[in-house]
Amino acid sequence: MSGRVIVITSGKGGVGKTTTNANIGTALARMGKKVVMIDTDLGLRNLDLLLGLENRIVYTIVDVVEERCKLKQALVKDKKNPNLCLLAAAQTRDKTAVTEEQLKDICERLQKDFDFILVDCPAGIEQGFQNAVAGASEAIVVTTPEMSAVRDADRIIGLLEAKEEIKSYKLLLNRVRPNLIKSNDMMSVDDVVEILSADLIGIIPEDTGIITSTNKGEPIVNDEKSLAGKAYNNVARRIIGEDVPFLDLEEPQGVMAKVKKFFSGLIGEKR
Amino acid sequence: MILQNFYNKIIGFFRQTDTEVEESSKDTARNRLRVVLMQDRTNLTPELMERMRKEMVELLSRYVEMDKEALELNLEQDGEQVALMLSIPVIRAKDEEEIKATLAEEDAKKAKEAEEAEESEESEDTDETEEKEETEEVQEEESSEEEIFELTEEKTEKEPPKEQKLKEEK
Repeated sequence: MSGRVIVITSGKGGVGKTTTNANIGTALARMGKKVVMIDTDLGLRNLDLLLGLENRIVYTIVDVVEERCKLKQALVKDKKNPNLCLLAAAQTRDKTAVTEEQLKDICERLQKDFDFILVDCPAGIEQGFQNAVAGASEAIVVTTPEMSAVRDADRIIGLLEAKEEIKSYKLLLNRVRPNLIKSNDMMSVDDVVEILSADLIGIIPEDTGIITSTNKGEPIVNDEKSLAGKAYNNVARRIIGEDVPFLDLEEPQGVMAKVKKFFSGLIGEKR
Repeated sequence: MILQNFYNKIIGFFRQTDTEVEESSKDTARNRLRVVLMQDRTNLTPELMERMRKEMVELLSRYVEMDKEALELNLEQDGEQVALMLSIPVIRAKDEEEIKATLAEEDAKKAKEAEEAEESEESEDTDETEEKEETEEVQEEESSEEEIFELTEEKTEKEPPKEQKLKEEK
């Protein structure tokens, strides 16, 4: 088995890289894929919190690199899903504790046992980014429909294109607010896609449920009712090659329209 | 009720004019982004833009007298595309004599510079190659003079326009 190594990156901080990582990883694991997530944000780890695994971490990626433990020992199994593992970042060290070569080596070793290796990249374009990208052959660029996030995404895309190892990259548009787009106060999905001219792999609506799910340490894809959860699930399905249409995020007006939309949505989903 | 109606009408009136006058904030964002990404992607730093501006001034002032300080060179949003906009406030079009004079001056300057460059090169070179280079030099000068003469004839036939906007679409 040779797993796919996908780096999840954005340039700008706070656009939802780690949330995306936790949700795509969980969704893929729910589909029966063996998934390992690597948090490379040394010194600022957060993926463990989003997965509710913060109390189970014994060894980190730095311990693996400095040979204080075996790679297998450092993998933390998810509470619910045995297919899902986390290789946590060290909280007490900085980005120089792991090199590009070492990360590449870890990815190569994990490829033998897992279908997917999702690398959570730190914000910025410095060494932390270079490290995270080193072992990957695919990338998901997370951005939001805001100027600063799009500009940073453009920088990241430029850097990814210059990397020979990165064979493909896809755009994930996060925190989309349909009502703002409708009132012409937010760039639309089409605007962003056109400006960045990249292929889209997902559109995730802004969802307050993300906050509560982070509070609980449980990714929102576990919540069947959540629209954001559904959108993340669709991203996972697209990753494994399914052809899934993008969700219609336009909020219907009025109660009757909502009811109608709900039923037509159900029919649409079954088809 | 009447008061409320009145209020709504006033509000409605202001809203209408708002949407008519201003572009939506989304369009502003999109257009600003296009320009900024253009700059990001092309490595055209402010210093390079300034240099380009200066070179433009130098080149164009051979043919027209213009307000050098007011010359603007910017990347701008032009409909769906980003354009390189050059706006030149022309004071006066130069006449044929003047243009010829400035070109001749430029030409002399260039020839002098070339000579100096040759001299400095020659001092580094060995004696054997010296003679050859000298003959080449003479030939080059002759041909360049001819070219420039042709150019002046072409240019002087047309009157330069008062306000020129050059576009280079990318």
